[in-house]
Amino acid sequence: MNGNKTYYVCKYTPVELLAAFGAECANLNSMPRGFELADQIAHPNLCGFGKALLQAVMEGRVRELVLVNCCDTIRSVADVLEDSGRLDFLYLVDALHCDGVCSRERMAAQLKGLAGAYGAYTGRSFDETRFRAAFKAPERVKGPHLSVMGARMGTELFEMVENAMPLPVQNDSCVHNRSVGEMLPPEGLDFDALMNWYAGEILGQIPCMRMTDNTGRKRLYHDPDLKGIIYHTVKFCDFYSFEYAELKDHANLPLLKIESDYTVQSSGQLLTRLEAFAESLAPEERKEREKKMGKGYAAGIDSGSTSTDVVILDPDGNVVTGIILPTGAGAALGAERALEEALRQSGLKRDDISAMVTTGYGRSAIHEGDKSITEITCHARGAHYLDPSVRTVIDIGGQDSKVIRLDENGAVANFVMNDKCAAGTGRFLEMMARTMEMSLEQMSEIGLSWREDITISSMCTVFAESEVVSLIAQNKPAGDIIHGLNKAVASKTASLAKRVGGEETYMMTGGVSKNKGLVKTLEETLGTKLAVSEMAQLCGALGAALFAADMV
Amino acid sequence: MQIYETFGNYVDQWSRTDPQRARWLLKTGWEVQDIRYRVLPQRELMPADRYLARVMMDRMLQPLKRPEQSAVVSIFTPCELLQEVGLSPYNVEGFSSYISASCAGQGCLQQAENSGISETLCSYHKTFIGAAERGLLPKPRCVVYTNLTCDANLVTFRHLAQLFDVPSFAIDVPMQQNEENVEYVAGQLREMAAFLEKCTGTAVDEARLKERMRRSRRTLENYERFQELRMDRYVPSDLVTPMFAGIANQLFLGTKEQEAYTEMLLREVRRAEPAAGKRIYWMHTIPFWSEAVKKELSLQRSAQIVGCEMSEFCSSDFEPEHPYEAMAKRMVYNGINGSVIRRIERGIESAKRVRADGAVWFCHWGCKHTLGGAQLAKKRFEAAGIPLLILDGDGCDQSHGGEGQTSTRLGAFLEMLQA
Repeated sequence: MNGNKTYYVCKYTPVELLAAFGAECANLNSMPRGFELADQIAHPNLCGFGKALLQAVMEGRVRELVLVNCCDTIRSVADVLEDSGRLDFLYLVDALHCDGVCSRERMAAQLKGLAGAYGAYTGRSFDETRFRAAFKAPERVKGPHLSVMGARMGTELFEMVENAMPLPVQNDSCVHNRSVGEMLPPEGLDFDALMNWYAGEILGQIPCMRMTDNTGRKRLYHDPDLKGIIYHTVKFCDFYSFEYAELKDHANLPLLKIESDYTVQSSGQLLTRLEAFAESLAPEERKEREKKMGKGYAAGIDSGSTSTDVVILDPDGNVVTGIILPTGAGAALGAERALEEALRQSGLKRDDISAMVTTGYGRSAIHEGDKSITEITCHARGAHYLDPSVRTVIDIGGQDSKVIRLDENGAVANFVMNDKCAAGTGRFLEMMARTMEMSLEQMSEIGLSWREDITISSMCTVFAESEVVSLIAQNKPAGDIIHGLNKAVASKTASLAKRVGGEETYMMTGGVSKNKGLVKTLEETLGTKLAVSEMAQLCGALGAALFAADMV
Repeated sequence: MQIYETFGNYVDQWSRTDPQRARWLLKTGWEVQDIRYRVLPQRELMPADRYLARVMMDRMLQPLKRPEQSAVVSIFTPCELLQEVGLSPYNVEGFSSYISASCAGQGCLQQAENSGISETLCSYHKTFIGAAERGLLPKPRCVVYTNLTCDANLVTFRHLAQLFDVPSFAIDVPMQQNEENVEYVAGQLREMAAFLEKCTGTAVDEARLKERMRRSRRTLENYERFQELRMDRYVPSDLVTPMFAGIANQLFLGTKEQEAYTEMLLREVRRAEPAAGKRIYWMHTIPFWSEAVKKELSLQRSAQIVGCEMSEFCSSDFEPEHPYEAMAKRMVYNGINGSVIRRIERGIESAKRVRADGAVWFCHWGCKHTLGGAQLAKKRFEAAGIPLLILDGDGCDQSHGGEGQTSTRLGAFLEMLQA
């Protein structure tokens, strides 16, 4: 990014018009590491992209900016930046929300307003040759591909998506599906007539969600070469959740929903989901592995945030051993210790293991494995092994919770994960147990007996903690409070299950499945029984071991 | 409170399995509340405000009693045309507040999130969507909305029209204040009249519409005068009355009841006691459910809300003899349209008119226009000599939490004003 460019953020920006005045236009699309400067002048609960924009300007990386009244956030950003006086040129185009004749006239007036302002700022005049030269047909991926749709995706996250996916990826999110340039301006028009035509071109693109009539968006997902959709939303941008709500029920394609807050860090946390989605798109790839040396034993290691689990299978596919140890300080070290312990318990040597698959958050930190597969795919495989009738797996782990829907072969049909806050996870329950000064085992039992149906209304861990403290102060029995907490987690989990289209038979895996009170409340909330296997906590490692066995 | 919770629990539970029964319960509960307003009104309030509470309850009940004679509308939709064709406004913000006050909002919010709607969407919109998806809300005749300021309108109402499977009409309001934009909107309002005529089979009578617009203007003039007279008076206020006035001064403009309300206000304010306590001007919605805010500002002589921008968005500066242009002007020049600086300057002017000692800028969860302008508002209000508290919260979702923080912030702000 540098100060010589004129930045824009929206596909309704008349970039060809700016080019006619000699501007070098660029889409401002990079993701920052944080929003310190933005939060000082606006509010933390603006959408991440709006804050990225404020951050870029306050860091002095942008001097000229042309915005469109895309949404309340961008309008606010324009107000704040206007007041900051940090830009040499700032203009907000009041683009209309329809593309009827009257709207085109109003849009043409906006274009002329911008031309006047930018001309006065640069001291240059409209150059029709430059204008015509700026029309370039957008390039699109050809052949079978995946598509990113929804709210705008920053450069860094899009690169990560491209790297993770087995097929080429088209960026069709927000500003990226700009289609002006498919048609060239007609010859022989005066400036006013040219602007009228141009207004029609701008408003006639594939509509974004801010347009009143957005039925034209169906073009985006009716492409026969489209093999799957990665649907992206930005925290605090609400437009696109509506399209996702519709797509998830009607798109007949593999669909992954991800949400970022538009920072580089939040993108990193999405890698597991992206990889799991890629695995579900190309499952056959895992079977094409060369045979390994050893005595035919297969091992799976699940390196979670709380515990590291190992399962070893014999050459006939029977479980020889399964162990659970705390992860400790480092994933690699924890995995090594757990593997040693598993080998010791089963009386095997390292060389007896022919193949090993790692999974879980620490999977990429462990170098010993032959392959690493996400815990989503592994939990699905493990659950199918434990009970082939299972179609929905609920895994509440320490750091996140997931609901995975399986097909009849144990492959992942769909999945959702919670957002990155701790609400509804094992960590939430751990923190509440600590507040109530009891162990997780005590919490599991005490939550079964309650009298008053208390509702913990806040799912934010911090606010929920203060609600719990106030309930303790009111001398409410521990059982009633824990039941309230269980209800809160159950409701969050049931919500995920509904989003993914959960169906029977349900199985619960992960450490939280040991919490009897929660399991009972979750069963009541879902209106179904939850199968909880004795190997529930080992399900991810078991799935990894089964994948390893495929390689033997 | 216990009885409301039990009521809300039943509405919530039944809406999962038997929406018709849940709707009947909701309607019956609101009818009981309506009777309660008549028999046991809030004695501390002025008679005018007690009257408004009853009118609001009546109006909320209309869509439940006769849904086919109602239109789902966003808050800034001009409703004189609806009245002319016999439709009552079935308003998202109003309904969601009543559902939340009936302790039945949580299930609705959860329902909307379950269907994939973003958890950061405004809770007024999310509650209504969830209630509609559950079948708690009946199908209206049509949907009419505008994109004026609030982003959520663009997506919520389109979604509702699909969900209810009814025709919809959208009014596109540009941001800038000029005659061309008034003409652009007036043209759309004429199309809206044709749309409503087609939906209902009732013709819009231009002469009657003009008379209605005259009434709208008189109503707004009365309210503006009331706020002027209020400057040295003590007018008791709870947390809902300013919100009722906010909704009524948009959606009920043109009705005899709303004009009568403002006439009562004018008569009563002249007889009101001299000003007492600290005077707070409130920007944006008010979290009526918050015990922390109630404790400091509801019916308190030590401090009270003396005005809320929601009730002063529309100005009486329009010409009723050109009704479409008049409604269009009210929209284009609405206090919340355009740059947030306009909104802030209007807020400062209104706060000065009632001699406010301080102002609260309420950052309702999900309202990006308000959130984005918070720091600018603080700077400008304080430069104008009015201390401003930026308060984060939620006007509708009672599970939002943070009561401890609200209490500390608001308490400290009032202590600061009193020092």
